[in-house]
Amino acid sequence: MRNLLKLLYAYHFLLLFIALEIICAIFLFRYNNYHSASFASTSKAISGTFYKQVTDFRVYLSLRETNDALAKENALLRNYLKNNYNTFDTTRIHVRDSAFSQLYHYQEAKVINNSVNKQYNYITLNKGKNHGIKPDMAVIGPNGIVGVVDGVSENFANVVSLLNLKFKVSAKLKKHNYLGSVIWEGKDYEYCTLNDIPQHVVLQKGDTVVTTGFSESFPEGEVIGTVEDFNMKDGNFYHIDIKISTVFKSLQYVSIVEDLKKSEEIQLEKLKEND
Amino acid sequence: MIRAINGVVIRFFFLVLLQVLVLNNIQWSGYLNPYLYVWFILMLPFETPNWLLLVFSFILGFSIDAFSNTWGMHSAACVLMGFVRPYLLKIIAPREGYDTSVQPVLRDFNLEWIIKYSLILIFIHHFALFYIEVFKFSMFFHTLLRVIISSLFTFVLVIISQFIIYRR
Repeated sequence: MRNLLKLLYAYHFLLLFIALEIICAIFLFRYNNYHSASFASTSKAISGTFYKQVTDFRVYLSLRETNDALAKENALLRNYLKNNYNTFDTTRIHVRDSAFSQLYHYQEAKVINNSVNKQYNYITLNKGKNHGIKPDMAVIGPNGIVGVVDGVSENFANVVSLLNLKFKVSAKLKKHNYLGSVIWEGKDYEYCTLNDIPQHVVLQKGDTVVTTGFSESFPEGEVIGTVEDFNMKDGNFYHIDIKISTVFKSLQYVSIVEDLKKSEEIQLEKLKEND
Repeated sequence: MIRAINGVVIRFFFLVLLQVLVLNNIQWSGYLNPYLYVWFILMLPFETPNWLLLVFSFILGFSIDAFSNTWGMHSAACVLMGFVRPYLLKIIAPREGYDTSVQPVLRDFNLEWIIKYSLILIFIHHFALFYIEVFKFSMFFHTLLRVIISSLFTFVLVIISQFIIYRR
């Protein structure tokens, strides 16, 4: 205590000076509007900076929880995305024309599953029974034929791809109208084979091969591919390699073809068989 | 002693009234604000105790503040000036020290000592006062110019007063 008093006495001049200046400062900031406003804004800026640092640090600490919350919200929002929903748009466009009756109806579909590397390749489309899709309908892409609908569920259709050993379609050379049949031999997803073209036909590389419209649901004249190479096997027929014009690896949107007069045709053909 | 106290009290009231009633009303172009009242601190006897010096300074500044509604500004500047005075006196002390009979006026000292003593203290006071008044550093050199001009003017007034009152 004694030492403290000694110390106070030793520094009494400095202490008195500081005390008086503090009194002055109190008066200055209390009774002068400008100075008090200035003091307030400065002190608020300082405390604001400090609090910002603290808040930043606190936010950093809770980053994990924030991330979890955001991920949950993302998942929730993703459930609302349009891509997740199948359309229920089943409107069909019929062209009413008294001079021509419509033979084929085209419907857009999106490829949602596809493969090219198996022996039996199938494609899944996002249209099904609800959209009027039935088995045996033809599927064509922007560049050429894709396959035939095999099975349908409520909202999806399974398509036998051209790249399937089960697939077979009647085809012809566009130039000559000679009939043959196109199959895939399971070797290369870019090439298929045209058989049953007789050897006396003059072939050229680059000739276009199209569908006939005879057996399956394909309309006539849909492109299958172009002649890449041909050779004569034993027998009377060519073995023709065809470059498939549909690019199966990047297939996204296709058209499903409905043959509107097919039932009539089948009925007629049955009638004949009965005779 | 009693005469000295009387002199201090009379000088105090005279200078405060002069400052408040006359000099505060003289403001030439905003650059020139003479604050002659600091002469009171300059003229305090050498043997004044340090704590009393600070108290006198505070009371003086506070009186000016009270009259000119500038609470705290003049007090702070005066207290700073009073705080510096003992140290300055120690630094510029003549070789033989200060005689108790002398006063810090031109009569008893040479001009060089008076200039050092008065001008430095006046400058410190004005510097503190003007910057507390402006309370920002964005116009630093403008304020500094005001400080210098006003300091010189106050100094001239101090010298003139000394010539008038303490003639040889």
